Amino acid sequence: MAVLEVRGVSKSFGSVQALENVSLDLRPGEVHAILGENGAGKSTLVGILAGFLVPDSGTVEFQGVEIRYGHPTEVREAGLRIVHQHFMLVPQFTIAENIALGNLRRWENPYQCAAVSEASDLAERLGWGLDLESRVDQLSVGSLQRVEILRALIGGGSVLVLDEPTAVLTAEEASELLAFVRARRDEGMTVVLVTHKLREVFDVADRATVLRQGRLVATFDLSCTEPDVLAEAMVGGPVPMASGTLRAAGEEIVRIEELIVESDRGSPAVRGIGLSLRSCEVLAIGGVDGNGQVELAEALVGIRRSSSGSIQVSGRSIAYIPQDRQTDGLVLEMSIAENILLGQSLREWTRFGILRMRQVLEWAQSLMRRFDVRAESAIVPAGALSGGNQQKVVVARNLHRVPDLLVAVNPTRGLDLRAEAAVRKAILECAAQGAAVLLLSTDHDEIEALGDRVMYMESGRLVDRLVGSTL
Amino acid sequence: MRVHVRILASFALLIGALILTLLVFRVPIGEGLRLIGQGAIFTEAGWTRSAVRSTPLVFVGLGMAVAWRAGMYNIGGEGQYVLGGLAGAASVSALGTAATWSPAVPILAACAGGGLLAGLAGVLQVWRGIPVVISTILLNFMVLPLQEWLLQGPLQEAKGQIPQTDRLPDSAMLARFDPRFDLHAGVFIAVAAVLAMAVFLYRTPAGFRLRVVGLGPRAARAHGISGDRVRVWAMVLSGSLCGLAGGVDLTGLTGYLGTGFDQGWGFMGIPVALLGALDPVGVFLAAVYFGVLVAGCENLARFADVGSPIVYVVQAVAVLVAVGLQHWRFAPKGRAEVELG
Repeated sequence: MAVLEVRGVSKSFGSVQALENVSLDLRPGEVHAILGENGAGKSTLVGILAGFLVPDSGTVEFQGVEIRYGHPTEVREAGLRIVHQHFMLVPQFTIAENIALGNLRRWENPYQCAAVSEASDLAERLGWGLDLESRVDQLSVGSLQRVEILRALIGGGSVLVLDEPTAVLTAEEASELLAFVRARRDEGMTVVLVTHKLREVFDVADRATVLRQGRLVATFDLSCTEPDVLAEAMVGGPVPMASGTLRAAGEEIVRIEELIVESDRGSPAVRGIGLSLRSCEVLAIGGVDGNGQVELAEALVGIRRSSSGSIQVSGRSIAYIPQDRQTDGLVLEMSIAENILLGQSLREWTRFGILRMRQVLEWAQSLMRRFDVRAESAIVPAGALSGGNQQKVVVARNLHRVPDLLVAVNPTRGLDLRAEAAVRKAILECAAQGAAVLLLSTDHDEIEALGDRVMYMESGRLVDRLVGSTL
Repeated sequence: MRVHVRILASFALLIGALILTLLVFRVPIGEGLRLIGQGAIFTEAGWTRSAVRSTPLVFVGLGMAVAWRAGMYNIGGEGQYVLGGLAGAASVSALGTAATWSPAVPILAACAGGGLLAGLAGVLQVWRGIPVVISTILLNFMVLPLQEWLLQGPLQEAKGQIPQTDRLPDSAMLARFDPRFDLHAGVFIAVAAVLAMAVFLYRTPAGFRLRVVGLGPRAARAHGISGDRVRVWAMVLSGSLCGLAGGVDLTGLTGYLGTGFDQGWGFMGIPVALLGALDPVGVFLAAVYFGVLVAGCENLARFADVGSPIVYVVQAVAVLVAVGLQHWRFAPKGRAEVELG
């Protein structure tokens, strides 16, 4: 008997059909992946399971009882527990306070409640070294997620839904999370893993349901399915692949010697790096987040001062794809055109001290066509775009003209397969046309696929390979 | 279609709030509305008074808007306004009548005075991390004793009786159109300032950088825009506009500076800027809206038996209505659905 049964669920938002006649069932004790590209309807489905989106038609039965919509707490009480993609924690509260929040029984003291002691036992059993008295805003992303999971598991649930749980985790944290998922399954729990990463699916899931543009493609039994089949089901055709062509490296563009750069907190983040980078060359630097990659990139593009050492860049034009497109890359409230203008030489677009916005708009429209940014027009705010299209705006802004040097930090994080391929292709084309590319990425596959040379960063130093890590 | 409904509804709401206020003050409604309309719109004395009241609000509103757009929460418009007026008066008294051949001299001095004061607050924030919200409001309190001292000392009238300055020479006064009314050439400066600010914000490199720094400080940094420099200059510009308000009131309206010079325009500029959504044209409309209300209520206070507090009560009610409308406009429809979309 199925633990959870979704029958013919449809949901639209205005004119957008987010889900159309989707059915699936969960078997007890399985890990079930829900797979799809950005915009396939995964989050909508999660919202319906959680009981706070109301489907236009169709039903969801949990343990034989139909879910009442608009009552998320009932769903939770029944044992269906959801960890949302975006953390829902109060940053200024401690872990304990966050756990007490929403788990308090009537008249209970938030500082001595059953939920917190249960969470502390649970954390201990899982071997998660969390200090429940530490403030949430001082935790790493991986720990934040653990807090969310603890919160979801309190009171014991039978089904755990994880919505894009590894999107923001480092490779190491992600593999720990997957191990956690396996362990819960072995204890008999049903886990739903919502993701767009095929590798994870094959790592832990027993079955996978693929959604594409709101429709159910099929549910696959993974013991007899090839990764390619799943990828094609997701994308709806052959998967675009970016691959490097052989290029002869040219003249030296960047030479860094004995570089030391401090982080915002004033401790050295880059501790003595030397490297050389030639035109037509992609130097890919891997490693776990927070080992000085961002500081290195910022020092190289000239927005962070180095405390010692030297950086020589012989190119004139430097393009920079920063790590976080939503805060560093784009101004979400501003239009696509204005975002593309950001980072250009404003003087080129100014006549008599006035910005020539009409020309900027036309130019932005042409770049949108060239880089396949899907939006009605260039005056749409960047915040209204999907993640993939946002990153394409960042790419268009930087790569419309081949720069002498391109510095990219995690350029494809959080993108779906198609957008990822488009961004990688643009980076490789850029190198093929003569740019020197420094790619800093925590994605192992990306490093391998794009780098002519591969190095890793560990504690602010460059190493040839990472020792003692799972990469 | 929906926009029209909204405008009509907000107008109705405002009238409703006004009527309620009149009821509370026991003013006959018909008579009260008539006095307000007469005092603000339907007579020559009325609409010119509205224009004159709106003028400082336009300047201060623009000043607040430009600072807030850069993420600098300047709330010291009052101090910058008064210091602007003082700087204007001081420039005339220092340079003498011969050198002040034009109102441009005291007006520019007023801009400089306000700009310096706000710029100081800006520098304190980027250099020492003192938030402008704190420093500007404290600087307000430093300007008041400065005003008191100046009016009893260096700037006091030649007769030395009352704490106020001498009248400005006619050459330093803005042109008036009709001796019976206060309407002065400052209203044109206000309209010009609105247009200039709209061009500055949306069509110049500096305005573009300012908006980027306000909306996306990290994106600004990642693209080589110096946030600190932009913030300081935004404060200077903001303070100059507040100072300009003081300078224009001095040279267009009062002609001298006394203890009653400050009328609270510096503070009312904040709701004006917010109601105008920090947009120059929006600020202009909001300033006119408040200017009309102030002018109408002055007339009401004069002729109905209610006294002057009604002016402030109506202002407060108008701010509340405005805030409520703002919420109505921006509140998301439905509940959790929007976020998940």
